[in-house]
Amino acid sequence: MNVLKNALLTVIAGLTVPVFAGPLWAQGADSQLLLHPPKNSWPSYHGDYSGRRHSALTQITPQNVKNLSLAWAFQTNQTIPLKSSPLLVDGILYFTAPDNVWALDARSGHQIWHFNYPRGQGEHIGQRGVAMYKDSLFFLTPDAHLISINSKDGMTRWKVQIADVSKGYWTSMAPLVVGNHVLVGVSGDFDNLSGFLRAVDPETGDTQWQWDSSPPAGTPNQTTGGMTWMTGTYDPELNLVYWGTGNPTPVLNGSTRPGDNLYTCSIVALNADTGKLVWSFQPSPHDTHDWDAVETPVLVDGDFHGKPYKMLMQTSRNGYFFVLDRTNGKSLLTVPFGPVNWSLGIDKKGQPIPNPAKEPAPDGRLIAPDEGGMTNYRAPSFDTKTGLFVVSAHPSWSLYFAKPADGTYGWAGADYDVWGTGVIEAIDYQTGKIRWAHDLGDESGAGVLTTDSGLVFTGDAKGNFLALDSTNGKTLWHAGSGSHITSSPTTYELDGRQYVLTSSGGVMFAWALPED
Amino acid sequence: MNLRVPLQGINFTVLLLGSIGLLAQAAPPAQAPAPAQSAAPQQSAATTKTYPPELVQKGQALFRQDCSFCHGRDAGGGETGPDLTRSRLVRADIDGDKIGPVVRNGRPDKGMPPFDRSDDQMASLVAFIHTQQNNMRNNRGGGRKGVDPSDLQTGNAEAGKQYFEGKGGCSSCHSPTGDLAGIASKYKGLELEQMMLYPRRAKSKVTVTLATGENVSGTLAYVDEFTIALTDSTEQYRSWRTRDVQYKIDSPVNAHKELFPKYTDADVHNLMAYLQTFH
Repeated sequence: MNVLKNALLTVIAGLTVPVFAGPLWAQGADSQLLLHPPKNSWPSYHGDYSGRRHSALTQITPQNVKNLSLAWAFQTNQTIPLKSSPLLVDGILYFTAPDNVWALDARSGHQIWHFNYPRGQGEHIGQRGVAMYKDSLFFLTPDAHLISINSKDGMTRWKVQIADVSKGYWTSMAPLVVGNHVLVGVSGDFDNLSGFLRAVDPETGDTQWQWDSSPPAGTPNQTTGGMTWMTGTYDPELNLVYWGTGNPTPVLNGSTRPGDNLYTCSIVALNADTGKLVWSFQPSPHDTHDWDAVETPVLVDGDFHGKPYKMLMQTSRNGYFFVLDRTNGKSLLTVPFGPVNWSLGIDKKGQPIPNPAKEPAPDGRLIAPDEGGMTNYRAPSFDTKTGLFVVSAHPSWSLYFAKPADGTYGWAGADYDVWGTGVIEAIDYQTGKIRWAHDLGDESGAGVLTTDSGLVFTGDAKGNFLALDSTNGKTLWHAGSGSHITSSPTTYELDGRQYVLTSSGGVMFAWALPED
Repeated sequence: MNLRVPLQGINFTVLLLGSIGLLAQAAPPAQAPAPAQSAAPQQSAATTKTYPPELVQKGQALFRQDCSFCHGRDAGGGETGPDLTRSRLVRADIDGDKIGPVVRNGRPDKGMPPFDRSDDQMASLVAFIHTQQNNMRNNRGGGRKGVDPSDLQTGNAEAGKQYFEGKGGCSSCHSPTGDLAGIASKYKGLELEQMMLYPRRAKSKVTVTLATGENVSGTLAYVDEFTIALTDSTEQYRSWRTRDVQYKIDSPVNAHKELFPKYTDADVHNLMAYLQTFH
């Protein structure tokens, strides 16, 4: 208990996101805004560079959250479920769906403009949001182009190709602006493609650097894959960006890619200005279960077993919770956060050792977790008040098959869910012990937001938005949304009023306490 | 392990997020001589229909954009989504009469969103999906993935019987001549194995105790943190706020979950071999 108390104090002292009023009218999102987001903003996908998705706002409390009510809703009138985290800058919200960007007045919820990209090739499976730099928004399309959009009127400034959609690439992630670099990643594991992270110039779209996560396709005995599906995090003092990479290809058949398959299923630290690899850690060496390691690499400064560390934490898809020293990638803790049955234990580096007997086989292997993983795109949160890592988890079991007839291209096998459930877990980061768990009944697509006042905002599998007590997981407020929640909540203060934004189906909801 | 598979065998693929209705029925190409008692193949008009190449191409492009992430580029199954080439609903579909509603309404319980598509777009999708299913049935070219009953025959039925009656504890609820009689004629291959591991269609019973002390029992219809509902003996749906009642859910199927961490893969295959003797 003492250790935790000391850790909490250190963590609170070490917050890299101070709350201050900030400029009333910023010129869009400049570097300072991105480094120190004021409380009337949410200028990037995670809210800030740490990825903690933890807010210092305290107007909504465990005592008054039962009165939380709808401030406004915006209906996109599209059937595609929203997956993006909206940005809030200068009182204007920006969020997305594939081929679409909306700008809303955050006070009224009314549309200012709507950008629509002509429907083209590429998977339209999801879009996580835009990035903002000054008065430009950066938007990735299913056909793997990056568009710079004028935030004032939704007009295109320029468009560049990030990857070749005809080869099987597409793009869906929310870019990350660091300094004068717009960092973009790619999707696509139905083909044997090389993954990468690219930095482009915000004024022109010209490539500044590219870091490749896997060798070129066709290199003998080497893997492809390592797609950069989600948004990373950034430490301005170390000038390192932290990024997770996806699974290797072929997916379920590892025979043509012996070895660890670097840098697939990895967490890498890259120099933000050059893209050079500084260190790497691999949550899933030689993965054969499609378990990307692209979940948020959450940055936390605090004590670990009595010593101060700059840490990086990830609840990874493969079922393991990792705590690393983010200055050098050394492992501090590796512990499962749900049932896993596919590893032979942990090696000296803190990486799981895959069990060859649990690779996909012609007659099937019973595997925990399932292919969707113990968690997935839905954001976790690190609550600096409680020292708990809160994640929407999916304990699950599945069957994995692969046989020679399935080939060595793309999926190269088949997997089938057998059973799974959903639960919000609050993990003590120093031990991996689950301090409290909130049963969701089934796997939920809702991410997690925590606040300093002691609240956890998330959602269940039935479309209920939830506010939980962050000390024990008890439900304090809920609202039935009527559709699937496939996004992560955000929050900001505007006009002295705290708003929490959630989405369900094609509708964006803004919640606040009733006004006097 | 030599398992007699009728020529017109029914290959079922139970789909991950696929609905209960999407039971696959594929007639494999002639590989083994037809046993005398094989059933005549079920043919529907759609299975022999061919579609204009341009329509199929349009459908393929649209499928690639909207459907391929979950259902695979070739409709053979992708991330999280069912294999449509082995789908009974697709096989029974005529010009989109069944596929259309699934696409337009989605499958909310399974995680498939609705897609608002024009009639022309729907026709192209239907053309593509049927073409894929026809191709799968007629041509088992290399590179196709999927699980056939023949893939699942690596177990030993006697060992399965030992497990069933012993360590597995199955015989405390099940019997090959009782509730499971004929199960292997009803379900084959992957579907049988998935049901064996976790019978997702099994219904739970629930007893709700009202504040008055009255008990109401029925089949569980819905439950979340806030609402519990059942259908009673007259098939009437009744619900309560969970805060107003006590309730007890009876899910015998939970015993299956307890076995997950205990099974070896050999246990699974042996049990499967044993179950396949329950004709």
